[in-house]
Amino acid sequence: MQAWLAAGRRLAALAVLAAAALPAFGQAWPAKPVRVVVPYPPGGPVDISARLLAPRLQATLGQPFLVENKPGAGGNIGADFVAKSAPDGYTIGMGAIATHAINPALMASVPYDPIRDFRHLALVVQVPNVLVMNTELPVRSVAELVAYAKARPGKLDFASGSTGSTGHLAGELFKQMTGTFMVHIPYKGAPPAVADLLAGRVHLMFDNLASALPNVRAGKLRALAVTTLKRSASLPELPTLDESGLKGFDMTTWWGLMGPAGMSADVVQRLSAEILAAMDAPEVRERLRAMGMEGSAVRTPEQFTAFVDAERRLYAKLVKQSGAKPD
Amino acid sequence: MEIISNLALGFGVALSPFNLLMCLIGVILGTLIGVLPGVGPVATIAMLLPITFNLNPIAALIMLAGIYYGAQYGGSTTAILVNLPGESSSVVTCLDGYQMARRGRAGPALATAALGSFFAGCVATLIVAMFAPPLAEVALKFGPSEYFSLMVLGLVAAVVLAHGSLIKAICMVLLGLMLGLVGTDVNSGVLRFAFGISELADGIGFVTVAMGMFGLAEIIANLEHKGAREVFTGKVKHLWPTRDDFKRIWAPILRGTFLGSALGILPGGGALLASFGAYTLEKKVSKNSAEFGKGAIEGVAAPEAANNAGAQTSFIPLLTLGIPSNAVMALMIGAMMIQGIAPGPQVMTERPQLFWGMIASMWIGNLMLVVLNLPLIGMWIKLLTVPYRILYPSILVFMCIGVFSLSNNPFDCLLMAAFGLLGYVCVKLECEPAPMILGFILGPLMEENLRRAMLLSRGDPLVFFQKPISASFLIVSIILLVIIALPNIRKRREEVFVEET
Repeated sequence: MQAWLAAGRRLAALAVLAAAALPAFGQAWPAKPVRVVVPYPPGGPVDISARLLAPRLQATLGQPFLVENKPGAGGNIGADFVAKSAPDGYTIGMGAIATHAINPALMASVPYDPIRDFRHLALVVQVPNVLVMNTELPVRSVAELVAYAKARPGKLDFASGSTGSTGHLAGELFKQMTGTFMVHIPYKGAPPAVADLLAGRVHLMFDNLASALPNVRAGKLRALAVTTLKRSASLPELPTLDESGLKGFDMTTWWGLMGPAGMSADVVQRLSAEILAAMDAPEVRERLRAMGMEGSAVRTPEQFTAFVDAERRLYAKLVKQSGAKPD
Repeated sequence: MEIISNLALGFGVALSPFNLLMCLIGVILGTLIGVLPGVGPVATIAMLLPITFNLNPIAALIMLAGIYYGAQYGGSTTAILVNLPGESSSVVTCLDGYQMARRGRAGPALATAALGSFFAGCVATLIVAMFAPPLAEVALKFGPSEYFSLMVLGLVAAVVLAHGSLIKAICMVLLGLMLGLVGTDVNSGVLRFAFGISELADGIGFVTVAMGMFGLAEIIANLEHKGAREVFTGKVKHLWPTRDDFKRIWAPILRGTFLGSALGILPGGGALLASFGAYTLEKKVSKNSAEFGKGAIEGVAAPEAANNAGAQTSFIPLLTLGIPSNAVMALMIGAMMIQGIAPGPQVMTERPQLFWGMIASMWIGNLMLVVLNLPLIGMWIKLLTVPYRILYPSILVFMCIGVFSLSNNPFDCLLMAAFGLLGYVCVKLECEPAPMILGFILGPLMEENLRRAMLLSRGDPLVFFQKPISASFLIVSIILLVIIALPNIRKRREEVFVEET
């Protein structure tokens, strides 16, 4: 009897020890609120999708998911914060094409490794960029644009939200593939660029679909093509650049949830499944689609890691080709 | 009359009990966060965004807009009482508002701010209702060269703004310009003056600088007088402006409203210029210009009217073009998009209830604010009777919370402390911080637009004179410069003459 009790006590102690050593094990996680770091200021599309998902995750996992904006240095400050936090499942964050594919290629130094320092949980959103023009230009298709630009080398301007943004790199790639020469005009964010595009001071722009959509629908801007291989569900009549003669042109803006490397496999599995379930909820899906955002075919953490790695390689090449690297 | 039926539709929507409640909640929240130094509308609206998912879009936007212009009201309260500008627009209110408070006239200053804002809000709301689409076209006429020339005019005005030595004012403007250079270069993406600190990659935050240079420096300077800090309240005579005050403020309020409404339409930093511009204008045209900087009531009335008018008209580029003119407007876009409304030209035609409901709610919100704020003046004044040894630590705590909440980064608090020290040095050297702040705001915008204009013109500097709007700004700047220079030249010639005889 005594021995039984002692053994039982020892077992209980072991169990407690095990639970303490693995606080994220099984039922134990999440035992406290989870912080969701957004490396951009509030109100942008990345922030909005995080704030859309947070209440859903809170409902299914039973703990608050608190969105915290840590903007700065093109998203690097927030991404670095996630990379350097404890891998206990209580700090996750949004990682995006900028923080995980473009910045490492563009900037002189980035304080983290986009693959090794992260556990990629779920790709949340992919948004195509769309080639839009001022309506006063007598150009109605990509082929006409190429001909028009070739006849006027150096006369057309293309705007972008910043140096090294997807819009800038798409423009550079477009120039290379078509052998045209246009001047890049960088702005501080997409809105002022769109303003100058509407006014006709710049001629074209590779804007993300979400921000271009209202002006395209109102007929204030003319859309020529999307930058993805697949047509967009929001503008299904619009051809892709690939269909329009730029074979293989494929660029999307994307972001997804990530945690620091070293998170336990259980937590990763659980989080990833719940994030995807939240994404698939009709209400969330509908809201995202209204903004021109679409879910992705990338469905597992492993696929996501492979996707990030492929993107990183692609942009390292593109940045080098474009000459956008500052130093 | 289409406008009347539109406004009737709008008021029908805005006056529904639920929307009225949301508007009230918005303006009360806005006033509160405006009064708390540093806790701005951006952080508040971001936190409230998830709550708005479950509201209908109109109620949600009415509440968020209420927070925005409520904060404009509240922000002037701390600017006047404790020299703490929480928003870029209330920096100018500090200049004369705080001086009025020091002379025991905090009550009239607060009342003037509230009444001026209310009047400006009413007029600007009407302007938005009547002319939004054509004014959006005007906003589009402003390109890089126009913005650059406008900023030049603003900088020249900054020198006029100072009331001490001209040399010191110019030095402070230059210091501001240099601080504005910190961060990532827009054209090349190169980091400038960041010294390897990634927090500096996006430049130094405006609120951080303003809170350090004004609020923190003032606290340090006050602590110098051991125990003998002025007690403003002992001298408080009345809370309400006198008849003479009313006579002095009506014209500045009118001018401020006009200037603010015009500048608020420009999405590329026009609203920032509104209060600075109104103050400068008043200083030039007022009979009492000698009093400016020492507690002139015109110096509170004009910029307060201007910033509120600008806050209202900055909804024009948002609602008609989908282009946000500041961080709060960018958040409003987020709030609209999350509701499935794409801000842009169709909002007005496809969602007339939303468009006109919001406009009507702005007027109602302004009315609520003035009703709410006038009785509160007595309470705010009582706040000053709190002993300073208790008041200043609590102000410091709120400042740190506010600055931290900007990007959830403790680095900003340290930076604010550094600017507090710099501000104290400036107090000792009798250098005005206001021209520096204006240089700091305008510098980066000027550089960006100058380089963009030159890129677009392929390097031809004549472009600034070929565009009529841009050319007229530059000509006005030159005239202003001559006016500033003339008395000095005359004085120097007189001095030379004296020496010779």
